[in-house]
Amino acid sequence: MQSKTKFLVMSALSMSCLMASAANAAADKSQVIPGWQVAVPDGKDTPTIDPMMLYSSGGVDGKMAIIGLPSFKTYRHIDCGVDTHEISFGGSNKGNKNGTPDGKYVYLNDKGANTICEFDIQTGYLARVIALPFPFGVHHIALSTDGKHLFGTGEYSGKMAKVEIKTGKTEVIDWGPSPSAPDYIDASRDGKYVFAGNYYHSTVGVFSTSPFKLIKEIPVGKNPHGTDVIPESTLVLVSDKLSATMTIIDTQKLAVKKVLPTCAGPLHSVMDVYNKDGGSYRAGIDSPDGLTSKYAYESCFVADANVKIDLKKLEVVDEIPTHYRTGHISISADNSYVMALNKFSTGLFSPTGIVFPVNFEMWDAREKSPTYGKTLRIMPVDGEPHNAKSLMSYLVKDWTKGEAEQGGLISGRTDLLDPPHRAFSKRYFIPKETTPPGVKMVDGVKEIHMKAFSYGYIPRQVRVNKGDKVRLFATNIDKAAGITKNPDVTMGLTIYGPYGQRSNMDLPRGVTAVHEFTADIAGEYEIFCTHFCGPLHLEMRAAFFVDDPKKGPSNLAVGDYDKAQHLPGLLEEGQLTVAERVKGL
Amino acid sequence: MKNAKLKIGLIAVTSLGMMLGSAASSAAPEKRCTAGGQKVECPTITDAEAKKASEAFLKEGHDMEEGKGGSTYGIAPFDYLTGVGKRSNSDSKTFKTDSGYGGEAKGGLKTELWDRVKAPSSDGVTDKSVYDQWTNNWSPKFGETRVAGADPNHGKTYYYSYCIACHGWLMHGDGPSASELNPRPRTLTRGDYMNKKTNLELFAVIKGGGEQVSLSSSMPNWGNVLQDQDIWDIIAFIRAMQDVPPPKSVEEYLNPKSTFKPIKGDVDALNAAKSPEFKELQEMIESEMTGRAPGTELVGGGYVDGGNRKKPTEVAVKVK
Repeated sequence: MQSKTKFLVMSALSMSCLMASAANAAADKSQVIPGWQVAVPDGKDTPTIDPMMLYSSGGVDGKMAIIGLPSFKTYRHIDCGVDTHEISFGGSNKGNKNGTPDGKYVYLNDKGANTICEFDIQTGYLARVIALPFPFGVHHIALSTDGKHLFGTGEYSGKMAKVEIKTGKTEVIDWGPSPSAPDYIDASRDGKYVFAGNYYHSTVGVFSTSPFKLIKEIPVGKNPHGTDVIPESTLVLVSDKLSATMTIIDTQKLAVKKVLPTCAGPLHSVMDVYNKDGGSYRAGIDSPDGLTSKYAYESCFVADANVKIDLKKLEVVDEIPTHYRTGHISISADNSYVMALNKFSTGLFSPTGIVFPVNFEMWDAREKSPTYGKTLRIMPVDGEPHNAKSLMSYLVKDWTKGEAEQGGLISGRTDLLDPPHRAFSKRYFIPKETTPPGVKMVDGVKEIHMKAFSYGYIPRQVRVNKGDKVRLFATNIDKAAGITKNPDVTMGLTIYGPYGQRSNMDLPRGVTAVHEFTADIAGEYEIFCTHFCGPLHLEMRAAFFVDDPKKGPSNLAVGDYDKAQHLPGLLEEGQLTVAERVKGL
Repeated sequence: MKNAKLKIGLIAVTSLGMMLGSAASSAAPEKRCTAGGQKVECPTITDAEAKKASEAFLKEGHDMEEGKGGSTYGIAPFDYLTGVGKRSNSDSKTFKTDSGYGGEAKGGLKTELWDRVKAPSSDGVTDKSVYDQWTNNWSPKFGETRVAGADPNHGKTYYYSYCIACHGWLMHGDGPSASELNPRPRTLTRGDYMNKKTNLELFAVIKGGGEQVSLSSSMPNWGNVLQDQDIWDIIAFIRAMQDVPPPKSVEEYLNPKSTFKPIKGDVDALNAAKSPEFKELQEMIESEMTGRAPGTELVGGGYVDGGNRKKPTEVAVKVK
């Protein structure tokens, strides 16, 4: 409690300093001699102490970034693995998409490695990796209301999982016959249901949390993605990518309440959240019950915009342009800022190479602010961020100034500081090849030539034998992504699971990416695109079959899936939690 | 900037030259395709057309980078920090827009973009056609279908999403990726070829990919992405666009006149379930599909309600 007061005082002080310096900025200008020892007062700058932090999933760079709000300064990058997706704070899912963080752990699922990384918020290090059972292919995760479980969608197997965080015990259930492709997921705030979108079926699956089972499928618009529960837990907002609509599901009736035309290429939604007294919800201070929300903000990929939806009237009330192609969307813990996690930065930044940066754009969501709706900050971001969640900085203790030495930082040996399953492999570029797609043997090496386009790979299925040396050539043949005509589409190619780290490739235009590895673990492993190339990026998939001649052709039931779960490169058993498959959690 | 453009242009020309070179080496066009039992030359765009399309896409890329109208990038003006065109929802007196856009909108003041979405104008800045295409789904609406039990209006949406990259915006086989593929993607509007193809053949190539019908592996199998009914809907859309020329007016664009006449005795979405040929084809395709485990196979493609799709028996579009 004391540290909180300290923080408030400090921020008040720094705020007043800032205001004073801003006011004096013009007057000071002629007097200040710029030099390394002189900090030039700059009214446009922000305080270095950030009242909020944004935990961002780095996507293809396999890291989690911690970014200050509203300074938009990147503090850290922490390793997780291959291709990270959904951030989820430990604590409870009550509230908006940021949940109710308890300040202990933050979870991040790795779609490339089929794992969940657990980070200790207080140390700022990786704490544990939970290796999920195979075949699965975890797309996203959602925390349960009691904070004890994580629910996961198995996009590459048509399965759903319920993971006990403490032990890693995992219940895996089927969602109908394959292909079904559960992708985005959220859990109701009353602990009852899990909702997951399915772009193959164009439905939202409703699952009861205990017992964990499919209750029903609710038909929604075309190729839904974002499936987001509002803080009141009464509605689920579903973004129908190809219908340009939002399907709103009533969680009491488990039926569609309204279909709302929103924008072109809607993908995700976030909402603001208020406590009982109508103030911004402060996790750890306010009661997590009786939370309400006023507006939802939906990202519109094709329309280059975010739309604002009044949750009482259930109608679109505003549309804010973004730059460009917003994929995920995030809201600051105090409801003030909306972050558009933009997938394209066409013409915006200085070049750094052939993989173009994506960007985070922060716009002012405060209605009374003179800068309402305006972009306040925009910054290029490394990797290909997949989602970001925000918490109030008071949840992270200040361990400096001798505080850590007073004890209490950690209570025992930490399990893990770095991901142990980093596999070294050989990757390189060659000039863009024109070899037709297909597989051929060259000097005892199986050469696979693949083309990537929006939205798919050719060939779609690749079969090799266990033990084959594989040289994978992948070429991005997009001149402009078909649906959106983006000029600078970078594709990616990752074979999920044990081949994740070994195959994780960027496919910029103009070159062919080559990857060499030995296919030593049998099974069926989906290939997916790791760069958000367009609204149907998710549907961009192929399959990599490694057949064991002793067992016959691999499929979701035949393969070395136990071996796959232990992740190659691991030196010491016990450095990660191998999630044990159980029945009835 | 000019230099960079020139460089990119040169690269494009060089790569095109390479492409033309490789095409020239197989000079005599091979009759690889089959239509109505006859071996024919595959209907694709010519090298000159591919070159033209390729150049157009490059130009479009440059235009987008410069934020010119005509692309979706040009529609949303860049307002970083300036806030040009933005206005507050709550206070019209204090926070006025700088751009003069908008005016009093019903139900309070909105941002500039909002006004444009509500009433796209031909002001030279907003590209109405592109915006309408997305926000209002402005594209041909079909009152009738040429494939019983299949809706071309639904097929159209999937075509625009999945097929367009190679087969092109007007189905001429000139999409952004077309020039990168050898053999080139089919021109899907050539009635002399397409009208002789049976529905079963089209279904096979879409669901099972080019290799399913002994053609190019460049056509992927879509069976794991599209449901059977979606594929039928796409076939209905293709059937509705035969010999439709590039539109000269909006009117023409919205009302395409197809030359396709259903082939006698052909399988369609409505009678497919009873067709032994169709059943055989399904088994063949599905045995090779991914994402299977014993006991979880699809049976004849399955059907899940969702995405506004309708069962063949419930497709309300009348058969022509």
